[in-house]
Amino acid sequence: MRRVQIIFLVATAAVAYGAYLAFTAPLDALQGEFTRMIYIHVPTLWLAFLAFGVTALGSIAYLITRKPRWDRLAASSAEIGVLFSVVGVFTGMVWGQAVWGQAWDWGDARLATTAVMIFVYLGYLALRHSIADPEVRAKRAAILGAIAVIQVPLVYFSVNLVRTLHQTQSIRPDGSTMPTEILVALLVNVGAFTLLYIALMMARMHVAVLEEIRIGATVVAGDAVAPPRLSDVKDV
Amino acid sequence: MSDAMIVAGTYAVVYGATFGYAVYLHWRRKRAEQ
Repeated sequence: MRRVQIIFLVATAAVAYGAYLAFTAPLDALQGEFTRMIYIHVPTLWLAFLAFGVTALGSIAYLITRKPRWDRLAASSAEIGVLFSVVGVFTGMVWGQAVWGQAWDWGDARLATTAVMIFVYLGYLALRHSIADPEVRAKRAAILGAIAVIQVPLVYFSVNLVRTLHQTQSIRPDGSTMPTEILVALLVNVGAFTLLYIALMMARMHVAVLEEIRIGATVVAGDAVAPPRLSDVKDV
Repeated sequence: MSDAMIVAGTYAVVYGATFGYAVYLHWRRKRAEQ
């Protein structure tokens, strides 16, 4: 069995245990069943932050070293980050509809900055698909990947900078506002989703290597045609 | 629809998207290996 399959199996078991804790943890008196949304909403958006942070690190490392493996790391992490941020926003919308009475509010700082973050990283993926030359693509994507990460702290601290609909952080340096059972279940789910991220990253990077080999082996029509060189032209 | 069903449905969407992506990667790997 390959290493990625072992990590994926461990991650799946951890996610299953996290789901068990989520559905057996005590409920909040006001939110009822919707208390359980925290166990998927927080881990998915935590993963999005982690993934975009890794994209930035990969981008900076690529700009310094110019090694393709850093570009693969950045691209793979951005793709997974977009997936988890979209899923995280979906869970937040369901939760918001239940407890706020509305799924979305553009006036809310956390929601608006999260939407902008997703659009920028969708743009990052679109940029990668729009450039055929691997070196040009890697360089331009790395510049964007290194800059775009500024949105992660912006989204995280938006609830402190502008107090609107979304609540502030429940886990702070001075402690947690949650009961221990809920906190433990939340941390188990965060750990489980982090393992899942590692497994998905390994699989995604392996796919990237295979696809690069495949594209490299493909003969493109016109590849053998050399452009004329002016230095070869003799005066007559 | 009860609250429990909405929560369970949301969990199904999250797990479906995550493990669906893993299946998609597996398909891409098989295609690249051909």
